[in-house]
Amino acid sequence: MRTWPSVGRVSQLSSADTETPEAAAPQIDEAREAVLAEVTARLGEGVVGSHIRPGDDLWIRVDRANWVAAAEAAKAMGYRFFDFLSAIDWLPSPFGRDMDSQEDRIVSGAPAKEPEAMVQGYAGGETRFQLLARVYSITAGMGITFKCDLPDDDLTAGTWSNVYAGANWHEREAREMFGFSFDGHPNMINLYLPADFVGHPLRKDFPLLARRVRPWPGIVDVEPMPGVADEEGEGE
Amino acid sequence: MGLVESGKLPKPLAKLLNISRKYSIWAYQWGLACCAIEMGAAFASPRYDVMRLGVIPFPASPRQADLVVIAGTVTDKLAPAVVRLYEQMPDPKYVISMGSCANCGGPYWDSYSVTKGVDQLIPVDVYVPGCPPRPEALLEGIILLQERIAHEDMAERWKGEPIVVG
Amino acid sequence: MTAVSDPQSVAALAAEAVDNRVNLDFETEGMTLNMGPQHPATHGTLRIIARLDGEQVISAEPMCGYMHRGYEKLTEVRTYPQINALINRIDWLGSFANEVPFILAAEKLMDVEAPPRAQWIRTILFEMSRIANISLFLGDFGLQLGGMTAGFYAFRDREWVLNQIESATGGRFHPNFDRIGGLKDDLPKGWIDSSHTAMDKLLAFCDELEDLLVGNEIFQARTRGIGVIPAETALSYGLSGANLRASGVDWDLRRDNCPPGLVYDKADWKVWTHPDGDCFARTWVRLQETREAAKIVKQLLDTIPSGPVMAKVPRIIKVPEGEAYVATENPLGEMGYYVVSKGDLVPFRVKIRSASFNNISIVPWVARGAYVPDLISILGSLYFILGDIDR
Repeated sequence: MRTWPSVGRVSQLSSADTETPEAAAPQIDEAREAVLAEVTARLGEGVVGSHIRPGDDLWIRVDRANWVAAAEAAKAMGYRFFDFLSAIDWLPSPFGRDMDSQEDRIVSGAPAKEPEAMVQGYAGGETRFQLLARVYSITAGMGITFKCDLPDDDLTAGTWSNVYAGANWHEREAREMFGFSFDGHPNMINLYLPADFVGHPLRKDFPLLARRVRPWPGIVDVEPMPGVADEEGEGE
Repeated sequence: MGLVESGKLPKPLAKLLNISRKYSIWAYQWGLACCAIEMGAAFASPRYDVMRLGVIPFPASPRQADLVVIAGTVTDKLAPAVVRLYEQMPDPKYVISMGSCANCGGPYWDSYSVTKGVDQLIPVDVYVPGCPPRPEALLEGIILLQERIAHEDMAERWKGEPIVVG
Repeated sequence: MTAVSDPQSVAALAAEAVDNRVNLDFETEGMTLNMGPQHPATHGTLRIIARLDGEQVISAEPMCGYMHRGYEKLTEVRTYPQINALINRIDWLGSFANEVPFILAAEKLMDVEAPPRAQWIRTILFEMSRIANISLFLGDFGLQLGGMTAGFYAFRDREWVLNQIESATGGRFHPNFDRIGGLKDDLPKGWIDSSHTAMDKLLAFCDELEDLLVGNEIFQARTRGIGVIPAETALSYGLSGANLRASGVDWDLRRDNCPPGLVYDKADWKVWTHPDGDCFARTWVRLQETREAAKIVKQLLDTIPSGPVMAKVPRIIKVPEGEAYVATENPLGEMGYYVVSKGDLVPFRVKIRSASFNNISIVPWVARGAYVPDLISILGSLYFILGDIDR
């Protein structure tokens, strides 16, 4: 039976029969290292960050000028299958899980929450918005996840749709969900939302108004059952 | 039908008309999401066989239908189409709202794009709860609607006054 | 086995042939045809705006969004178990298959592995939902092309699988049976025997449908040579699943990059491809896939190991910080979840890569030059679920 490659932590959770005491020595994934080296060779200074989870996945962060070049390089390397293109808004949500805004907390007398620091994920990052795209090679059986920082004052990037035709719709979706624009895109109109929709829903500062009116009734789900939590898990 | 419009229909005749209306419902299938498949199972599959209840499930157009089953999530983008469909149907017309999404928004109660209940747009006669409701539940809903039709005062219904929602 | 020797040139040739077929030199007044949002031949509410030149389609642009429910935003305000209940409804015909990649992604981040018995049952239910999904496609595609009988047969025999899913999970449609670290429950008594019976019925249904529909002359006339998609184009649009295999690309995530937690390597089965890339090929590949799925289920039913169905996980699930992408071969194609976790009760961001979204984005390309009735064949054979496009 195959098991997940260790993510670098020793698991405290797996059951006794599946527990595998793996050595803490870092594994080297030669195939993905080679892919990373080739992308770096093609893009030169364009690669600004990378992350490899051995035996599992590869993340490469490129700068904005090389965003389209990254797609061309990947396609030339045999990564012909286009998976998806989207984005991540790294801003910690000003509303939190219950969607209470700071103003609501102050009105109800609760202490204002300290805004959390913005922390980007694998392969690093410097800006709030990051493009995220993934391509796959059927022959190599590996995928690459590309990331690209977009500065707040200029949310534009080149279009991938000339390289991967499937990116066309994904970029339209990213446009309406995050408010980006893609240079050279042939048909930059709304895909999902009505034309008069205000706001960009997947931005972290877009509030879900229904939640503001009435908090999520299922919140009890995450409270520990009396007496059970202590023995079974790390109840809060 | 002058008698009906003037509200002077003799009771036995009204009852007879109601019974015949009750067993000849032309149902338009407005399948939107998951519920559409369960509605298909109820309407088109030999196992559930809706025709034994006197429902004819295949009108070609809403203009020939007496009943529309709103089965699935109604989004704000789709809402004008729902209203237009309802307006195309001839009176007397009935609406069954099938499933949690059409009833109240269901699992998408906090979504930014979902209409929280089709009854904000058109008047609903029967709500069928479930996510999605089983085909049997829809059949039960149709039986409830038939009861309602059987006890209806047609003169009241056919006065042509607009039904106010809410 | 790749049927296309030089994909680049074949794609170029195909595009050129299409341009020749659309007779743009002979000026006729164009007409715009609006299909939908409600159309009997679509599942749900896809709207297509087609510009016609006589009987030929010059351009067809799908208008999505009539079923956009905002899954990606809603996942940011729900806990992992709650998301599991929600994402059942993306591809509503193969609900169980939607849960699996998400649960696997969460397990990957938590470094948890489900016990063997749970892995077996997951794979069995996964394949059952594939059968429930594709058998309806086979019937419904016949319905769209004017053969109503197939639809009735599909609805009848599909109930065999739904009964099995229901008796094991409690849900006919949306099981919500997967948990991080295993399954909610063990199988009920007598389930394995009744599943064997159900699979036999389904195999008989496939034979019946092959005689009834796929061998039918009218059906073949309406699907053969219609909507041809070359392999290279399919890849660059990100087509997956049977649509890709029907273009001759021998790639199946179940075999080639199966995420740990599913046990496809424990069964003997075959990935079918077809070199033609037309509507008929897509239907044919799906028919074979239904058969293979029934075979996988029958083999796995006989080898289920004993043991628990749930690993030891905390009651309150907090997923450690990290990012993971897990994709599985769902009935409609590759479905994956890119989960970004910040170590909280809720994920920070979930990107849902649904198969139909990519599959249907090729419609403007493939519909160009087709005749209006062929548009139905093309849409039907690409096989989309609206919830899977719009999410």
